[in-house]
Amino acid sequence: MISFASFPVPSQNETQGMTRHHPDVEDDIDMDEGFEEGFHRLTSPGEPLTSSQAFMRGHGTYIDNDEVISSVAGTVERVNKLISVRAVRSRYNPEVGDLVVGRITEVQPRRWKVDANSRQDAVLMLSSVNLPGGVQRRKLESDELQMRTFFEEGDLLVAEVQAFFADGAMSLHTRSLRYGKLRNGQLVTVPPALIRRLKSHFLSLPCGVDLILGLNGYIWASKHVKQSEQEGEEAFDAEAVYSNKNDDIDDATRLAISRVSNIIRILAAHFIPLTDTLLLDAYEWAVEQEGDVKDLLQADIGDAMIATIAARD
Amino acid sequence: MAVPSLSKAERAYIQASLQASPPLRADGRSLLDFRTVLLETGVAPLANGSAKLNIGKAPQEGGGGTEVIAATKLEVEDVETGDGVDGGRLVCTVTCSPSAYPHLSTNALDELQYDLTILLHQTLSHPTLHPNNLGILPHKKSWLLSLDLVILADAGNVVDALFMAARAALWDTKVPRTRPLQYQSRKAGDALKNADAMEVEGLPEITSAFDTRDMARAAADFELPDYWDEGEVLEGRDRWPVCVTLNLLPPSHFLDATLLEEASTPIRLLLAYSFPHKSQPNLQAMRFIGSGEVVLTQLKALNADGEKYARSLFDSLETKLRDEDIRRNVKARDKFAVR
Repeated sequence: MISFASFPVPSQNETQGMTRHHPDVEDDIDMDEGFEEGFHRLTSPGEPLTSSQAFMRGHGTYIDNDEVISSVAGTVERVNKLISVRAVRSRYNPEVGDLVVGRITEVQPRRWKVDANSRQDAVLMLSSVNLPGGVQRRKLESDELQMRTFFEEGDLLVAEVQAFFADGAMSLHTRSLRYGKLRNGQLVTVPPALIRRLKSHFLSLPCGVDLILGLNGYIWASKHVKQSEQEGEEAFDAEAVYSNKNDDIDDATRLAISRVSNIIRILAAHFIPLTDTLLLDAYEWAVEQEGDVKDLLQADIGDAMIATIAARD
Repeated sequence: MAVPSLSKAERAYIQASLQASPPLRADGRSLLDFRTVLLETGVAPLANGSAKLNIGKAPQEGGGGTEVIAATKLEVEDVETGDGVDGGRLVCTVTCSPSAYPHLSTNALDELQYDLTILLHQTLSHPTLHPNNLGILPHKKSWLLSLDLVILADAGNVVDALFMAARAALWDTKVPRTRPLQYQSRKAGDALKNADAMEVEGLPEITSAFDTRDMARAAADFELPDYWDEGEVLEGRDRWPVCVTLNLLPPSHFLDATLLEEASTPIRLLLAYSFPHKSQPNLQAMRFIGSGEVVLTQLKALNADGEKYARSLFDSLETKLRDEDIRRNVKARDKFAVR
C-alpha cells in the first residue's frame, strides 16, 4: 500500500566538478564571442557571456566586472548588440495566435481573468466570447449580469491569444466553435517549453482520447467527441457549450485518459517535447506491457518506455 | 495548493471516476495506494533531529510532490522563573512557505499555518506521548523541545506528510547527556565536600571578600559532558503517532489524495494513531475537515479501517527509520573505516 524510498543521491562520477557540455556545443566553447544571429548556445547561471563594453545586457543576464553574465540556464540569443538568455524553464511567453488552455480565476466587470501559466493573468473580454443567440447579436446589459452562467471561477477553457495589452497581459478570445469551456476529462500540466507549435493542437488519439495541447503547457485530455457531434455544429447551442455536466464516460475511456496523462507526465519528467507520433508510440508500448496504469509512474518502467520510444525515432 | 479552484466538470469527473467500479484515480492508483514517499533523516546539521519527506515526487524531475522538512532543537529552560515546565515540554510550529501556496494571501497563509500548528501541537504535546528524559534538574531546569516543520510544497495530503516528518524528526532527536553540578557552600574550616555526582570547579581557596554570591543556598546547575555521540534518543520514540487522512466520498473512502482529489472531496477524516509496544493502539487525534456530513454509525467502521491503514503506514515508516539509522551510523562507520 505504501512504500518508502530515499531521496536520489547525486551521482558521483569522475566528471563531477568539471564543466560538461553537450557534444554539439563542445567545439563552440573555445570560440570566444561566437554569437552569430540565429545560433543557439547553451549556458548556465553565472557563466560569463561576453564583455559589457561591446554588448548590451538583455533578459536573463546581469553585469558584473564589465562582463555580461547569464542569470538563468538556457539558450543565448543575440539581436544586434543585445545579448539575452531564454530560460529553459520559465513561464509561458504568449504570442498572438497561440492556442492556450486556461482557468478562470476571477470574474470582473465585462471581463474574466484567466490563469494561463503566464507572468500575468490573461484577460477574456465578454465581447470576445460567443454568446447565446448567434454571433451577430448585440451585447446586452443582461449579459454582463449573468457572466457566471458562461464562465465561473475555476472553469477551464481553451482559447486563442488575440492581442496584448500595454502592460504585456494577453487578451484571449473564444470566438470559434472549437474553443470554449472544457469538460469530460482532466488537466495535465507540463513545462511550456515542451509544447511545440504544431499544425493542429487538437489531437485525436485512436484510443478514444482527445488531447488539447495548450502552448502554455496545460494539456486537456478528454473523451473523444465525434466531429459530427461537436457542439454547435449546425447552430450555436449555448446550453451545450457552457454546460458543466459531463457526458457518460465508460471505464475503458477513463483508463485510456489516465494512461495518456501518465505518459505525458513521464515524457515531461524526462523533458521530451510532445508530438502526436511520440504519444502514440508511447501509448502502444504501454498497452503492450499489459501493466497497470499506475506502474507507469515507477521510475524503471518510465525509463524503459523512454528508451523504447527513443529507439524508434 | 497549486490549483486554487476546480471547475464543476473536473470535480464531477474525478468523483465519478472514484465511484466507478473498479475505482480509478487520475494517476491510476487504487483507492488505498500511497504515492512513493521519500524520506531522509539527519538533513539539518545544527538541529538535534531532522527529517526531509516528500510524497509523490516525480522521478527524474527536480520538483513535484508534497515536501516537508522537520527539525527539532533543544533549549534549556528555567523552571523556577516560570518559563519552563518541570519535566520538559514540546512545542510544535508549522510554517507554510509562500511558494507552496502562491494563491493564498498573507492572512490566509497565517491562518493555515495556525490551524496546522494547533493540530500538531495538540496531538504531539499530549501527556501520554511525553518523553521522560526531557527533565534536567527536578524543579529547576528542563529541556524545551521545539519541533519546527516547514511545508515547502503542497501536492496534497499535507497533514499525513507533516505527521510522518514530525515522527521521523522526533525519532532522530538526540538529547544531550547532562551531569548535575552543585556548588557547595564553604563552612569555616571545612574541606570541600563532594555530593554524589557533584563537582566543584575553580572555587578559590580563600573566599573573596567581594564575593556577594549567596553561598549558603546550594545553587545547582549542570554541565554537558563531552561524549562521542550527540546523546541519547528520546524516551518512548516509538510512541509518536502517525496520521492517516481518509477522504470520504460515500460509499467509499481513499487515501493520499492529490490536490485535485482533495478539492473534490466533501469531507476528510484525520486519524492520528500511536502504536506503543505491547499494548493497544491509541487514537491520539481525530478531526473532520470539510463541509460534508458523516453519520455516526459509519464512524466506527471508518475508525477500524483507519487503524488498519495507520498500522501499515506505521510499520513501513518504522522500517524506513531503522534503515536510515543504519545508513547513518553503521554504514557511515564502515565507510570511514575503509578510508
